[in-house]
Amino acid sequence: MRKIFIPVIVFSLAVVTGHFGTLKAAPSVIMSKAMQTMAERGIPLHQFVLGSRITPQTQSVVRPSPDLVYSICLFDFSGLDVPLAISAGVWDDYGSISFFDAKTNNFATIRVGAGSSEVVLTPHGMASPADPTNGVTHIKTPTKRGLILIRRLAPTLTAYNRVRDLSVEDQCRPLPDVS
Amino acid sequence: MKNLLKYVTLLVVGLCVGVGSALTMSGVVGGRSLASFANVNVDGWHSDWSIGTATASPYVRARIARHGLLALAKEEAVYFTRSVDDDGELFTESCRYQISGTGQDAFWWSITLYDSQSRLPMNDDGALSIDATKTGDVDHWSAIISSERPTRNSHWISSHAAGQFDLTMRLYRPSQAILSSPQSSINPPQLQRLDCLQGGAS
Repeated sequence: MRKIFIPVIVFSLAVVTGHFGTLKAAPSVIMSKAMQTMAERGIPLHQFVLGSRITPQTQSVVRPSPDLVYSICLFDFSGLDVPLAISAGVWDDYGSISFFDAKTNNFATIRVGAGSSEVVLTPHGMASPADPTNGVTHIKTPTKRGLILIRRLAPTLTAYNRVRDLSVEDQCRPLPDVS
Repeated sequence: MKNLLKYVTLLVVGLCVGVGSALTMSGVVGGRSLASFANVNVDGWHSDWSIGTATASPYVRARIARHGLLALAKEEAVYFTRSVDDDGELFTESCRYQISGTGQDAFWWSITLYDSQSRLPMNDDGALSIDATKTGDVDHWSAIISSERPTRNSHWISSHAAGQFDLTMRLYRPSQAILSSPQSSINPPQLQRLDCLQGGAS
């Protein structure tokens, strides 16, 4: 009995460990690989980069929408001890700023409309700066690494060019350390 | 020594079985469509309301990381996938379809065609999707899905170089009614197969 019981237990434990270990690791591994690919394509940390108009030839992630324009900012608080200030240029059609952690969770989304959309992003454990102004949203990221995505509806070349012109107003930058 | 080798083999094989079953069951690898995992089904359009959230099951999270990375939580956008026509046949490049529908209770909607690798098909047709800005403010719209540009003047989604494909419908800023009761609040577009080249689906 013991001759069979122990091997069965060992095998079962290995199956369960491999199964749930893979499920737990998959989102982080896939996100890490995607961020690495973006970095290799020239997207720096803490700076929005406007993507090309989405075509079959320019797609870099799965299931991109060809009707949207994406601006990406990669963030990493591992070597950063100040918050990030994020804002998007005003857009008169659909627009949003969405925040993704290192496990692919969309942990926050704010809308980009006719008004201001300013965000201060900090990791857990870092104090948010005092906010003397109205309208600034404070968001905590669950993980030190992740990415921020601005989506804007721009289904035509004309609309894309308008986004390109106003995207110079998009900001993703470390706040000056005032401590 | 013989026992040690036996247990090492059991461990390695067991880990491989565990990894393989996880990747297959979650849809990270294998031929299962996104639709086969859905928990919301509206006339053949499938979705998973837990996309983008930390409450999603580990299977959903792994699958979305692979097939829908950077998807938004449902309060901002919901995503529906459809991989079969109204007769239940898989979409294929070798057939022509008519898709028709009405407006949606959302800020903006679009329908985009993707190949079996969840990529836009590699063509230069400039006809990858249809959306609310193309159909305008009409009660009823329709479009042709085909690998060649339709001869008559109509909206067109190109399936050229797509092989077997599926469609993703996006509803951005969906209404509260859609979020609480999608079956009665979404207007699911219909997919009629018109004809097929020889060797395509019947």
